[in-house]
Amino acid sequence: MKKKKIGVYICHCGGNISDYVDVEKVRAAIADEGIVLLSKTTMFACSDSNQRDMVEDIKANDLDGVVVASCSPKLHLQTFQNVSMRADLNKYTYVHANIREQASWAHSDDKMGATEKAIHLVRAAIAKSRYAEALESTKVKAIKKVAVIGAGIAGLKAALSLSEKDCDVILIERNSVVGGHVAEFTSLSTTTETGYQIITRLYSEVLKRGNISLLTNSEVIENKGSVGNFSLKIRKITNNDNQEIIDVNVGSVLMATGFDSYTPGEGEYGYKSLENVITLVDFKKMIDSQNGKLVYNGKQIRDIVYIYCVGSRQSDGGNTYCSRNCCTSTIHASIIARHKFSDINNYHFNRGIRTYGKQEILYAESLGSGDIYLQFNEDSIPEISVNGDKAIVKINDILSANREVEVEADLVVLVGGMVPRADNSVGSLFKLPKGRDRFYNEVHMKLRPVETAIDGITIAGACQGPKNITESVNSALAAATKSYSILSKGELETSPLIAVIEEDKCSWCGACQEACPFDAIHMEEKEGRTIAQINNTVCKGCGMCAPVCKPDAINLIAYSSSEIMSMIDALA
Amino acid sequence: MAKINTKFGNEISKYGAVNFRACYNCGNCTAVCSLSTEEVSFPREMVRLSAIGFEDEIKASLKPWECYYCGECSTHCPQEANPGELMMSLRRYLTSKYDWTGLSGLLYKSLPISIIAFIITLIGVLWFAGSVGYELEKMIHFGHMFEMIAIAAVGVFILMPNVARMWYYTILKPKTKVSIAKYVKSMGELFIHMFTQKRALGCDDNQFRWFEHFVLVIGYLSLLFTTVFLNWFASPYLFVIILGYVMSAIVFVVTIDFVSSRMKRNKEVSKYTQPSDLFFVIWLFLMGLTAFLVRLFIDLDILEGNKWLYLMHLIVLVQWALIIVPFGKWTHFMYRSFAMYFAKLKEK
Repeated sequence: MKKKKIGVYICHCGGNISDYVDVEKVRAAIADEGIVLLSKTTMFACSDSNQRDMVEDIKANDLDGVVVASCSPKLHLQTFQNVSMRADLNKYTYVHANIREQASWAHSDDKMGATEKAIHLVRAAIAKSRYAEALESTKVKAIKKVAVIGAGIAGLKAALSLSEKDCDVILIERNSVVGGHVAEFTSLSTTTETGYQIITRLYSEVLKRGNISLLTNSEVIENKGSVGNFSLKIRKITNNDNQEIIDVNVGSVLMATGFDSYTPGEGEYGYKSLENVITLVDFKKMIDSQNGKLVYNGKQIRDIVYIYCVGSRQSDGGNTYCSRNCCTSTIHASIIARHKFSDINNYHFNRGIRTYGKQEILYAESLGSGDIYLQFNEDSIPEISVNGDKAIVKINDILSANREVEVEADLVVLVGGMVPRADNSVGSLFKLPKGRDRFYNEVHMKLRPVETAIDGITIAGACQGPKNITESVNSALAAATKSYSILSKGELETSPLIAVIEEDKCSWCGACQEACPFDAIHMEEKEGRTIAQINNTVCKGCGMCAPVCKPDAINLIAYSSSEIMSMIDALA
Repeated sequence: MAKINTKFGNEISKYGAVNFRACYNCGNCTAVCSLSTEEVSFPREMVRLSAIGFEDEIKASLKPWECYYCGECSTHCPQEANPGELMMSLRRYLTSKYDWTGLSGLLYKSLPISIIAFIITLIGVLWFAGSVGYELEKMIHFGHMFEMIAIAAVGVFILMPNVARMWYYTILKPKTKVSIAKYVKSMGELFIHMFTQKRALGCDDNQFRWFEHFVLVIGYLSLLFTTVFLNWFASPYLFVIILGYVMSAIVFVVTIDFVSSRMKRNKEVSKYTQPSDLFFVIWLFLMGLTAFLVRLFIDLDILEGNKWLYLMHLIVLVQWALIIVPFGKWTHFMYRSFAMYFAKLKEK
């Protein structure tokens, strides 16, 4: 094997580095390291002109790799990997040294020390560079088919969107009918269409699509494989309670399993113990099913108290989050009640109204028509007592300078928010991570809002957290596109930076499998021995398995023990 | 502990309140008000009390009188809930509550009843004039007698009891402890505010409004004094005659601006002008103008041939004295100054 030749570039970063680190001294110190053929300092390594110079240097000197000592790799690792690629080198031959955040900025009070440290950091990078080899990503076949789990409004819209992209869809619904919660909503704000009508429209559209197969009464009971090829076992309850097991292979899974409505605990604001206390879910059904007079337990309802944030925004334990749709939903229901029935007075006991965006129109309408809003905070919640067939609700109203105010109500409506599905077994099946709120978690709230830590699995709708219909549909369309984009080429590229097993050393103890957060390691019989095997498409190269391996049989590509040891030697 | 009374909102709307229920309690109105202080803060609090219908607290409050309606609050209200007009409506409402006869409420809330009252007084004056055969001397004599009797009667039977009721609602009923010495010592406050409306100077809008109002009040009171106690129409003294001319001219000239701004409705103050506001300024204008012309006709010696003019003056005078002074907007002259007096008593 011919001897490696590399180029090293030390960056001034304007003065960010060179004001504290003597870059010339660093260059001189490493210029004679074994494999260094060429060493330069530069004002801005990331500048266009320097990048062009680097490409020329690599080509003219036939270099095998490059080290740039500059800022954090978070900022410019990719930049210089791209430079290497433009000079026909494999991007994994590039090694980065951070002498700004780790030397000049950190030790601006000690220029000598900072220079000394920078020299060591660059030496360590050169040591790593000796081992840096060209790596190729593996290509895996991707099945152009997506399993959409849950046929509520998010699942239906996602399925239709995928279908339009000529992608096969298998739409799996646990219930016997589609539509989820939305199908139960009679009236929706800002549209005259009912929830049931919207669902019916989407459902009939789904039935028309040849590339969507809808499975109702069905649940995923087993999952194997990984992005590009998940093998799912689906149990379908057929007529007469018979079971049918269906095997499908899909390239991606889109989770749209929705939410449960919060049910107050027994005695919470008199729920279940006082007869005039009901939930918003019940109230909406009540106003939908009645006409003329609003009647509950045989008595006409006139004064209605709504208590907001029941089971939401609890600072101690419980649900700390705001469900964001309940204010709007309650105000919408109260407006309908006022319009539909005679003699209705609405009293909203809230903790601050959050009818964000256009929903503010509903709040304004409600205020204008004479609804009373009273405000409390968590440490002074309304008290409910009974007087005959009335419920007396007392509050120290913040908006009236904490005056004690009371309302004699015919009905008390508890406004609960959204909670994660009580049965989350399908999420566990896919090892989907959950947030502190116990909803499924996205990778990045702002920048990767529908992807999960599990490659190939996207999330949509309220299974990710409280959402209204608009927001659920938004996320469903985003998730459909994301799922499709993974599969659209028919094959996937996976990162080569993964763990590998030295089969000779491994004698299967299972510690690595336990440590793996991605379920990428499994046991295998090979030539009469039991050893660990790594699923290359699932492994993320996180390195959790390597330190727990007692016989040191696991190496991380590009971070092998020998590489790291050589770097430590250079640093010492 | 008090119960919410949503009906109060409907009641106060009859006094002219517009859209105040749209309030979402941001407090911008109170923040921009140049008269509101940390201790005496308004108008948001009054909007809130009106929304939840805490009538007893509203009746005990002097705050509606402490507002001089510059309209800044309404201009800055993001919900267009018109807090300024709500304060105005509360003043009308309180005027009705202070009035033991209940007539103020009827007149404020109903335009037809107001018109009927004006017609009845008109017929009464015409009937009287007919009964004395439209003899000018008798009519003028009666007019002067009427003025004196009306002032005494309205003062004793309507205004004084009503101020006493205001005192009961705002001081006695809320159990405010005030020493006799304090009543005496604070007396100055009453007269300062009655004759200067000093507090209105605290409003951020133009000081011209205050000046106009000040001149009008002085003009009106002097005219009253000149006609009633110096018997202007019958006076032979040049000084009295000229004083009467000047004062009556001031009254009708200054009022032109008030009437026209009420008609134009181009300021926050005048945007929601109620009939009661219009009656007040128009009748004031007519009072000044007809008095001026009557004396002029006397001096030109042509009144005998133009009895209709005096008859007109008499009609305006009677309506003013029997409707607008005891039961109409005239009372704000008293309640505002007494409110400042009572507020002083409430101070710790």
